[in-house]
Amino acid sequence: MSNLLINSIYMSIKNKPSHLIMAFFVMLMLFYACKSGTDRKTGTDKKDTTQISQNKTDLSQIKDSSVNTKQDDIANPAKKDELSSVLIYNFHVTNRCPSCIAIEEATTKTLNTYFAAEMKQGRIKRQILNVDDEANKFISQKYEAFGSGLFVTRIYKGKETTTDFTGDGFKYARNKEEKFIEILKNKISEYLK
Amino acid sequence: MKKNVILLIMLITGTVIYAQNTSQITPKTKLLVYYFHLTSRCHTCTNIEATTKKVLDENFKTELDSGIIIFKTFNVDLPENKKICKKYDAYGATLAVTYFQSGKEKIEDLTNFAFSKIYTEPVFISGLKLKIQEHLK
Repeated sequence: MSNLLINSIYMSIKNKPSHLIMAFFVMLMLFYACKSGTDRKTGTDKKDTTQISQNKTDLSQIKDSSVNTKQDDIANPAKKDELSSVLIYNFHVTNRCPSCIAIEEATTKTLNTYFAAEMKQGRIKRQILNVDDEANKFISQKYEAFGSGLFVTRIYKGKETTTDFTGDGFKYARNKEEKFIEILKNKISEYLK
Repeated sequence: MKKNVILLIMLITGTVIYAQNTSQITPKTKLLVYYFHLTSRCHTCTNIEATTKKVLDENFKTELDSGIIIFKTFNVDLPENKKICKKYDAYGATLAVTYFQSGKEKIEDLTNFAFSKIYTEPVFISGLKLKIQEHLK
C-alpha cells in the first residue's frame, strides 16, 4: 500500500516537477503540526515538574527551619523568645574604700527601684565578687577587674556586649548618687531591649 | 629706704615662688591635667594620680617646667574646691584634661579610661601619653 502511494507520488513528481514543491510544503506543514503537538505536551509536563520541585523545596525548607529552631532552642534557650538578658558584676578587693561601697549600694538601689521584676524573672542577674578570692579569679580576669569595678553585660543570641561603669561609679556614686543611678538605669534599660 | 627695697624684693620673690608653686595658667598654657579625689582614697585612686604624674614627669618634663602643661590635684570634699569640682562635674575620683581650641576651653573626661586601664599600666601610660600629645599639637 505504501509502495503504491510512493510510486504514484514519484510518477506525479516525474510528470509535473511543480508537484515536488507542493509535496515539500505539505511535508513541512505535517512536520510542524507534529512538533507543536509534542512541544505543547512536553511544556505542560515541564511546568508541572517545576511546580512539584518547587513544592519539594518549600517542604524541605520548612522541615529544615523546624529542625534548626529545635537545635537553636536546645543550644540557647534565650533565643526562643528573642529576649536579651543582663549580667551585672560588682568587683571589689578585701579592703574596700567608701567609693567602692557606694558603687555597690547605688547599684542595689538602681536594681531594686527600677528592675525588681526583671531580677525576679531572671533576666537580670547580679553578682558581687571579691577579686582577692581565688574562686573569682577566672571571672575577674575575663573582665580585667583587678580592683573595684562595675560591669554590665548584655547577652543576646549568644553574643556578649559589656559596658564598664567603674569610672562613672568612682566619679558619681558617693557624692552624686542620683546621677550615677540615672546613667546605670539608662544602660540597663537599653540592654534589656 | 634700704629696708623698703629689701621688703619689695622679698615681696616680688615671694610672689614669683607662689606663682610657680600654684602653677597659674599663663598665655602659653596649652593643657591642664586635673585629678580630683575624695578625702578617703582607695589604692586605685592613688595609683591613677601617681601614674598620671609619672607619665607627665617622664615624657613632658619640659612642658611642665615651662607651664605649657599644668598638673593639679583637688580634694572634692574641701569647700574651696567646690566651684572647680562643679565645673568639671567631679564628685569623686575624676581625671580630666582641658585643652584650648580656637581660643575656647574644651574639657575631656578620662575617668572611665583611667579606671578601666590602670591595672594594665602600659596601656594606661601609652594611652594617656598619646592623648596629651594629641592635645599639644
